[in-house]
Amino acid sequence: MPGKTVIEVEDLVKHYGEVTALDRVSFSVEEGEIFGLLGPNGAGKTTLMEILCCLRRFDEGKATVLKFDIVKDSYKVRASIGFCSQETLLYELLSVRENLAFAASLYSLKSKKFKERVEFSSKFLGVGEFLHRKVKELSGGMKRRANLAVSIIHDPPVVILDEPTVGFDPNVKREFWGLIKDLRNYGKTVLISTHDMYEADELCDRVAIMNKGKIVALDKPDTLKETLAGETSLHIKVKNTPTKEALSLLKKYDCILKDDEIHVFVKNPWEIVPEVSNRLISHGVLTEKIEVVEPTLEDVFIKLTGRRLTEEYKLTQ
Amino acid sequence: MIILLLFTAIFGREVPFTANIGVVDLDETAITASIISVFNDTEVFDAKVFENKTEALKALNATDVRAIITLPQGLKDNLTTGKPIKILMAVDETNPDVARMVRDGIRTFFLEFYKTVNTNYTEPISVIEESTLMREEMGYKEYIVPGMLCYPFLFSSMVAATGAIVYEKQKGTLKKIRASPVRPLNVLFGKTLAALFQTAISILIIAVLAVFVLCPKVNWNIPLLVPIMFLGSMNGIAVGLLISCIGRSPQAASSAATTIGVVLQFFIGMYFPQEFLPTYIQQIGNVIPMTYAVHAIRNIMIQNAVLSDILQPIATLIISATILYAIGILLYKRWVEKE
Repeated sequence: MPGKTVIEVEDLVKHYGEVTALDRVSFSVEEGEIFGLLGPNGAGKTTLMEILCCLRRFDEGKATVLKFDIVKDSYKVRASIGFCSQETLLYELLSVRENLAFAASLYSLKSKKFKERVEFSSKFLGVGEFLHRKVKELSGGMKRRANLAVSIIHDPPVVILDEPTVGFDPNVKREFWGLIKDLRNYGKTVLISTHDMYEADELCDRVAIMNKGKIVALDKPDTLKETLAGETSLHIKVKNTPTKEALSLLKKYDCILKDDEIHVFVKNPWEIVPEVSNRLISHGVLTEKIEVVEPTLEDVFIKLTGRRLTEEYKLTQ
Repeated sequence: MIILLLFTAIFGREVPFTANIGVVDLDETAITASIISVFNDTEVFDAKVFENKTEALKALNATDVRAIITLPQGLKDNLTTGKPIKILMAVDETNPDVARMVRDGIRTFFLEFYKTVNTNYTEPISVIEESTLMREEMGYKEYIVPGMLCYPFLFSSMVAATGAIVYEKQKGTLKKIRASPVRPLNVLFGKTLAALFQTAISILIIAVLAVFVLCPKVNWNIPLLVPIMFLGSMNGIAVGLLISCIGRSPQAASSAATTIGVVLQFFIGMYFPQEFLPTYIQQIGNVIPMTYAVHAIRNIMIQNAVLSDILQPIATLIISATILYAIGILLYKRWVEKE
């Protein structure tokens, strides 16, 4: 049913000693959406997810999954979710099929249903080609697929993915994004945590940006970028003229000098590029590059928190 | 290091062990009281007086005493008048080495006693072994096989149970199980069943090897042995679960379990009688549940004990397993909830 709330979190608080891991976190996830928790390490994403999976206690607040309270009805909650953690939680000495069978037994899956789900996983997740191989023989990507297959063996309506693509190379990452989108197409509600802004941007219908246990912003990625990140900018690098001199030619625009580049802030970059380029050329200034830089969720994060999403994060496109 | 200390404590003593002996005093005079008192003073024997021979024989059959001696009526008079004195003796042959030591010890005792009390009397006190009470000659293998059958309680049960929870926790697979609708206690019960299965296989292998390699003349009373072994295993598993909830890693927990197992095997009478141990170690052994399992199994296999003879060890094993397992469950639940 469109618009039906599947996950509801109200003022959740969790302390680890003196450290506040979650500080009055509230949000809701609608049926059929991919909802992202975006934040750096230590933001509280994993703690929040593990609380929703009934793996951790919390100190204050309330949370429900499919209207089941995670404390009073934890049995029903655990039967309704498929949790795929960051680590590959499979028995290395068993084959993928044996791991699937073990997971199926945890959910009391009947034999016929189990066969159907194995077939589904084989086609949908591509685990069919290595179903009978031992987990220890698999590559990292194969293990992650197997991990996901095990997590959803019981066909849960809610899937919780904790940084599912961390450590993947870009191609594998994109493949996995496709799988996650397919989960939504199959009617699943997906809660995903990530510190990859591109992943959040690409996958999520809505994103909650977390920092130090709090949700600092929550909305659709485009809306967040539009309202919070600022304008699109042109990054110009000149080559035969001192940059300051080139900057003086562009005074009519809103621009700054940064890292030996001229940053021009515009609302309609594709209209401005020819103008700027012509102006510079007409004054004999040659450019090494003119780049249109759209605001990112990282810009949103920097604006809200004053620091980068991840110090060492790199995505090679 | 611990084993070195243990062996020093066991074998480094001047008095190798203290044997319990039963005394039936048919004379009931100051002389016989003195004999009993001197027996106790020797530190080699610990004399327990029985009202009659039937009671004493019962104790002998239950291996509560290593030998019984009957002080005949008229001993005091015969000693003072110079008439022959015949002391009847029956020795437990379960462990031939111990039997020999006890037999020689008793004979030596009366020889020395006689010299002390009546140096003028020409005929010494004779100690006669009652052949009707002697069992069929047994070797050390008959003694050791019941002990070896208890080996899996300490190693298979305890180590398997120890590693089970901690391994899953370290690997992270416990997280997956906990995220599923499986109740925490069911996880514990599952691990218990797995450890029981492992123990059963170990016991079976040892039994088969014992039968075909050692060919011991023992009584394989399966209907009695199985429940005792089950209870012994449950005690081992319960201890393993306790260690599992405390251990930080599978390696640390497994090391702890192995160390405990290695030490306990000497305390519980698996390889040699508890009387060989210093008193304080015997007392430690008496609070270890597996000691009762070892004794019960030995009674069944060597003494042909029936159910009524082993009710007390069964009760002790049930109570200890229940208490230890309950503590294990509490610790596991607290550890899970702490997350």
